[in-house]
Amino acid sequence: MKGNLGEKLQSLPKPILYLILILATSIPLFFPTEVPNEPVESTKDFYATLMALPEGSKVLLMSDWTGSTRGESKGAFRSIFKILIRRKAKVAIYSAADPQAPRVAQDAINELNMERKRKNLPTFDRWNDWVNIGYFPNAEAAINGIANDLKGAFGGRKDFPPNSPPRDVFQSPVLQGVTKVEDFPLMLVITASKTSNFAVERVSGRTPLAFAVTGVMVPETQVFYQSKQIVGYCGGLKGVYDLEQLMESGVNFPDKATGKIKSDKLGTIEGFPDPDNKGQGTRYYPTLHYALALMIIMIILGNVGMFLAKRGDKS
Amino acid sequence: MMPLSQVYIGDQYRDTGWFGVFMTLLVAAFVLLNIRRARGGKDLYIRRIAGLNAIDEAIGRATEMGKPVLMVPGLSDTINAIAVQAVNIFAYVSRIAARFANPILLCCYNAAVYTYAQETIRDVYQSEGVADRYDPDSVRFVSDRQFAFAAGVSGLILREQTAATFFLGEFYAESLIFAETANSIGAIQVASSTETTQTPFFIAACDYVLIGDEFYAASAYLTRQPVLVGSLVGQDWSKLMIILMIILGTLLNTVQIQGKTTWERTKGVWSQIPERSVKQSDTFMSQLFKPQLEKVKVERPIDPNYVPEKGAGE
Amino acid sequence: MIPLLQAQAPATSFWSEAFNSSELWTKLIITLVVGLVVMVGLLYAPIRARKPIIAFFTFISGAYWVLLYLWPKPIDRQPGEMPLNTVETVSFWLADSNNVVVSFTQILTGFLLGLGIFSLLKIHLTKITKGHKDAFFSIVLLVSMGLMIWFGYADWFDRLGERGAMLDNRDNWGFTQYGRDFLFEGLLQQMDAAMFSVIAFYILSAAYRAFRVRSVEATILLSAASLVLLSLMGAVSFVWDENVKSIANGNPFILNFQLTEVAQWIRNTFQTSSIRGIQFGVGLGALAMGLRLWLSLEKPGSGS
Repeated sequence: MKGNLGEKLQSLPKPILYLILILATSIPLFFPTEVPNEPVESTKDFYATLMALPEGSKVLLMSDWTGSTRGESKGAFRSIFKILIRRKAKVAIYSAADPQAPRVAQDAINELNMERKRKNLPTFDRWNDWVNIGYFPNAEAAINGIANDLKGAFGGRKDFPPNSPPRDVFQSPVLQGVTKVEDFPLMLVITASKTSNFAVERVSGRTPLAFAVTGVMVPETQVFYQSKQIVGYCGGLKGVYDLEQLMESGVNFPDKATGKIKSDKLGTIEGFPDPDNKGQGTRYYPTLHYALALMIIMIILGNVGMFLAKRGDKS
Repeated sequence: MMPLSQVYIGDQYRDTGWFGVFMTLLVAAFVLLNIRRARGGKDLYIRRIAGLNAIDEAIGRATEMGKPVLMVPGLSDTINAIAVQAVNIFAYVSRIAARFANPILLCCYNAAVYTYAQETIRDVYQSEGVADRYDPDSVRFVSDRQFAFAAGVSGLILREQTAATFFLGEFYAESLIFAETANSIGAIQVASSTETTQTPFFIAACDYVLIGDEFYAASAYLTRQPVLVGSLVGQDWSKLMIILMIILGTLLNTVQIQGKTTWERTKGVWSQIPERSVKQSDTFMSQLFKPQLEKVKVERPIDPNYVPEKGAGE
Repeated sequence: MIPLLQAQAPATSFWSEAFNSSELWTKLIITLVVGLVVMVGLLYAPIRARKPIIAFFTFISGAYWVLLYLWPKPIDRQPGEMPLNTVETVSFWLADSNNVVVSFTQILTGFLLGLGIFSLLKIHLTKITKGHKDAFFSIVLLVSMGLMIWFGYADWFDRLGERGAMLDNRDNWGFTQYGRDFLFEGLLQQMDAAMFSVIAFYILSAAYRAFRVRSVEATILLSAASLVLLSLMGAVSFVWDENVKSIANGNPFILNFQLTEVAQWIRNTFQTSSIRGIQFGVGLGALAMGLRLWLSLEKPGSGS
């Protein structure tokens, strides 16, 4: 009897498992819940770096995510852009991992702009506030070229000024005066692939690097963060949720005693409360809980089944 | 400003640092030296690697079941060392399969890898004397889009009911799709990813996994060519050197950080300061890896044909 | 004239000339002639000579990157400056050439795409003409490919003109833009996301099957994985940490047992050092492999 139950518990049919997972991940989407959370140090440092940018700074952004990782990367992209817009930064975007990536980034910015238009806020304009430099095949060689000769690497690339045919990106206010990668006070990488490794290899030490990576890349990125090769990173869906909470509450803001999110290492960093801060991270983080809880339950069930089956065999 | 004639040529490594270059040359020297030793007849030892021993077993199983062997050399964007290594291992697998007249399927993500794989596998069949058994469509380009490739290969695994699957090379998120699909049909799996993020997925889902460097050791292990074995030993010497440097660095840093200093290097210039505790950036190892050399300005003549570029909006 | 070239090098060095200049055309013609001569020469070269020729070109190609890495970089180079000595002349030449050589890989990628399309067409057209049982799916593939190519290029041509920036606004879209959006956003992105989402199911089934207490190592793996999984759940972390804080009452040793501290300790000690170790090995392996390929010491596909 024990053996039979044990066998059943450790070999549940996959369709049943998958059905339970579908229910566990879909139902919470209809019943949003607030989940208590403490942002991790790496995301606090990431947020602090973005908020420390002087107004009007130029930022180089390597956007290497596509629709497949939009669950994590799009949330990070949107949050990062909300912060950059707040800092009135100028952003030069390029991609090296996937030809789809420039279009996906563009569409995400257009979505943000449509939301801002609805709220009568100024939009983040192409050419004046951001340029799309395009896709570079062979990521390693491209990043090497950008690190060694930015003007040569981006030379001849065109983007769209308003009501005008395409023009050289260096004629844009975004890249005015930029001749080398060191001219950017920050380089951001939003990626789901190893282009972050290439950025650390070629650009680390020349300009501060900060990453927004998918959950599966967190262990690898932690290595770079721990050795201070990057200033901070936002990892996975938890990282996106952390970032949204930081945008809402700041760090040690208004002061360490009363601030919702505290840090011994960082000073006071303001938050900017806004209902729109709650994006994908807030919507999907509870779902992650249920999925992880289900995984833990299934692991326990499988092990219980294994023990029962062994006992059944012995008796 | 300093004219370059007063600066030593070695100073031109200010921006890049000489230590990295020195280490790279040392590693290259170790590899070449051991290749020479191996070619000279020295017997060099390689430890047992379970995943590679299983290759013959996997192909034998596939032959018994009359089902094909599937190989995927990873998702390299260009034809790089990883892709070449993967195809070289698959050449060995194909050689065994060719001897047993077992059909193979080699799915390529990149067209350059596809051409290289096609040439290599055709040469393997020819060298085995069974050129007529070679099916050109067995080596195929599926797609250069990650998930289209994953869907295509998964579909192949399910339709062809492959008995043995080899996933060796650069894999990303699709690694678990391949591994679980092959597991669902009971295929024996040997896998390796150079991406550390994907190794845990292979370990959870595959029968045999080559972790990290074992992937590069595979061709030496399987073929025992002196060049490959010597190169592997050279890599081991380099790893020993890195271990010694880590130990030395740990000891040096531990000792130095306990002390005090009255000198500090700021923007490459040493200057005296009031006594304070030694910081990480003051230590010998930190200075070795990050020289923080003084930025030098150099006077050079201007090209008479040079026209400065126009600014924005002109 | 529609600018088909996406990138142009600045017209200031050996590697590039001014657009439509006589020097540019001269260099292009010379390069084309030399390339054709080399290609024909290779076709008619004796079989024995092929390996040395391939080894020679491999060595030259690799030597460029090795030289770029080893040769001193120019110090404080400003635009328009001329080199002071031979070492600097080579440094400048290498730096100027880098982006041109990188462009070679971009051009190769374009041609390789064509090769990939040829392979797909060969396989699937054969299936269609021979009436293979899965020919319908081959038709779907080829039609999808054709549609994506057509709408993609048509949309790109539309954006080249003055209307380019206006097409970022959905109100200005035409049939081409809607078609491209349907195929790209509506189909490709959703299918990509769906395939990625399938991994969630596979993770669950793999974890359920693999994380069993079968041995000491499996138990350690299971324990570490469980702790990290729990630490990713903010609600669990919060409750666990609050309980530890109330028990600890300020005691720093007991505070180490907060879930976030334990998970961070696992990441900082075991995980980081293991990943570093694997990366050292992989990096050295890649370096050695690259060295063997460059010096043509590797014999592909031989031996048993």
